[in-house]
Amino acid sequence: MDCLVCHDTTGHYKKTPTSAGWPDKDLDLKPIAEKVGHSSRVSCGSCHFNGGGGDAIKHADMGGNLARPDPNCDVHMGSLDFSCRTCHTTRQHRIAGRSSSVAAAEGVVRCEQCHSEAPHLGNSLLDHHLNRHSRTLACNTCHSPVYAKCAPTKTWWDWSKAGDKQRKPAMMDLGTGTPLPDYHPMKGEFRWQRAVKPSYDWFNGNMARVLLGDAVPLDQGPVLLTRPLGSIRDPAARITPFKIMKGVQAFDPLYHTLLIPHLFPRNAEDTTAYWKHYDWQMAFIDGMASAGLPYSGQWHWQETWMYWRLEHEVMPAKMALSCIQCHDSLRGEKTCDRCHQDSRHVDFKKLAHQPTDVSFLQQIGQSTVALQGNNDYLDLKQLGYRGDPIVYGGRFKELPLGQKIPSTR
Amino acid sequence: MRKTSQAFQRCVFVALLLAVALLDPQPEPVRAAGAGAPTDWLAPGQQQALERARQTVPLIEAIRREGPLRRREHLHDLGLTVKAVKTTYFYLNSPLISAVEDHYTGVRFNHGQHAAQAGDCSVCHHLRPEQDVAYSPHPETVRCSACHQQAFDERVPERPGLKAAYHQRCIGCHKQQRSGPQVCTDCHLKQVPDHAKLVKLPEHPDALQVTAECLRCHEAQAHDMLQTAHWLWRGPSPYTQDRSREVLHGKGTTALNNY
Repeated sequence: MDCLVCHDTTGHYKKTPTSAGWPDKDLDLKPIAEKVGHSSRVSCGSCHFNGGGGDAIKHADMGGNLARPDPNCDVHMGSLDFSCRTCHTTRQHRIAGRSSSVAAAEGVVRCEQCHSEAPHLGNSLLDHHLNRHSRTLACNTCHSPVYAKCAPTKTWWDWSKAGDKQRKPAMMDLGTGTPLPDYHPMKGEFRWQRAVKPSYDWFNGNMARVLLGDAVPLDQGPVLLTRPLGSIRDPAARITPFKIMKGVQAFDPLYHTLLIPHLFPRNAEDTTAYWKHYDWQMAFIDGMASAGLPYSGQWHWQETWMYWRLEHEVMPAKMALSCIQCHDSLRGEKTCDRCHQDSRHVDFKKLAHQPTDVSFLQQIGQSTVALQGNNDYLDLKQLGYRGDPIVYGGRFKELPLGQKIPSTR
Repeated sequence: MRKTSQAFQRCVFVALLLAVALLDPQPEPVRAAGAGAPTDWLAPGQQQALERARQTVPLIEAIRREGPLRRREHLHDLGLTVKAVKTTYFYLNSPLISAVEDHYTGVRFNHGQHAAQAGDCSVCHHLRPEQDVAYSPHPETVRCSACHQQAFDERVPERPGLKAAYHQRCIGCHKQQRSGPQVCTDCHLKQVPDHAKLVKLPEHPDALQVTAECLRCHEAQAHDMLQTAHWLWRGPSPYTQDRSREVLHGKGTTALNNY
């Protein structure tokens, strides 16, 4: 058992990739052990920030930048110095958190734990409407309108292209000063993205997953390794932002199972590892045998998608989406006064047309096109609405107030 | 004789000042939550909260007596609602408490949310000072530590000290509302004692020696650890369709991904 990996406070503790979990041999562990303390963003991050083989590759909303986070990237960690455990509360070393990528869960973390079910304080009409939105939208749908703000993340990984030692990777710099390769012969082809608009879907907190050995249809488009559950008709479901990790992986055309390759050489004598011999057949035979699963000897490359829920990277409130970015019906002269009497105390148009503050995204040199001048940030029709709910009514209530529309239910 | 006495008094005064300076609970770097985070980085919001937490104010002795109903009505009449909240976030870590004992870190307090949920400032701001005080933006809602300072202060012996006041109010309300934390470590972390004095290791110990030394005191925690998903790489999967009753899913068993 390695206590130091989580309880190091010096930042000096480290493991090396080839030492199978043992600490770096050259480290003097005594001064580290003498300074143990509570876990921190840095200690949790020593594993979780590097998922997928490098910084922020897997978790679009978590990377090494969270050691010194910019408050605009993550207001909780960057302005209030939250540690991971501030939200991921821990009992007897069981750490709360519900992952969209991994099935195991030992507790739930919700924004509402601190912010309540009515998180928009104040008693104004706008607060009232925003608090009603909280039943239908996850907080981050509005409060983190783009993901991977401070570090680029991988959004595409094609394993079928791996093995070409001659291919020269094209390098792209997404404004971090570190050019990133689009290819690696061991891993295949990648796409990196930064400050990306999420994909939105209904989500009730539960996931459908393809697990090891599950047979899946291979002729119906991309295989969804994880998929959020919920629909417009599910009161527990909310529109939730996701990073969809897309890629290409090998499946067995006979058993319809995802093939597990043996990648990392076990030792110097290893004869099957892909990262040594670049032979998929040997790697699949060994990998599937190690997993105890049948393998027909044939493989087929297939696109796979994984939905990764975006929970971190909450931006300061002024950078949240505003009404007009999703509600097309508020675009013109007629805004809140579609339903409310005009009031000389409130400038409805100003309220509804207030733009999102994109200064930070501009400052880091990222595109703000999607956030400016559009009224379809959420594709409401694709999410199951007939159109703007202000005109057509919400998902459980039809309140068109004077608008004559044919009933659909 | 009189001169000596004055000199003596001055000495005592200087000594007191020195003692206060030594006791001054402003160790640098002040890192409440991000232990292990780089010391060259400061979180702006938390720094402001830490500075506020360090401030102490003179004790308010004279209190205007108002019954709770009148008090509540009075604050409502003045329009003191959640809208009046200037500072939504506080880090409760007063030197009034930590100078006496310092077993726990401070408490992150979401003032705005509490004000909104209570809908009634008088729940916490239950009395007001007789005289307006210069340091408070609103005399009706002075900070807790203006009236609650040290316990058993002979000037105001009937008042609970700040620590008791916080605990009675917070835990009392959370119990009543059946919501919110009621256990110590739900609000604040235990301070970790200086392990340089506790850890007994040879020079350049190996990893197993370090673990054995940790377990000398923390064996129970090690047993806990052995049951966790972070150790087993598997655990209950209550939120996975068709697998919610199985308990063996995780990266060590059946999880797949496309990285």
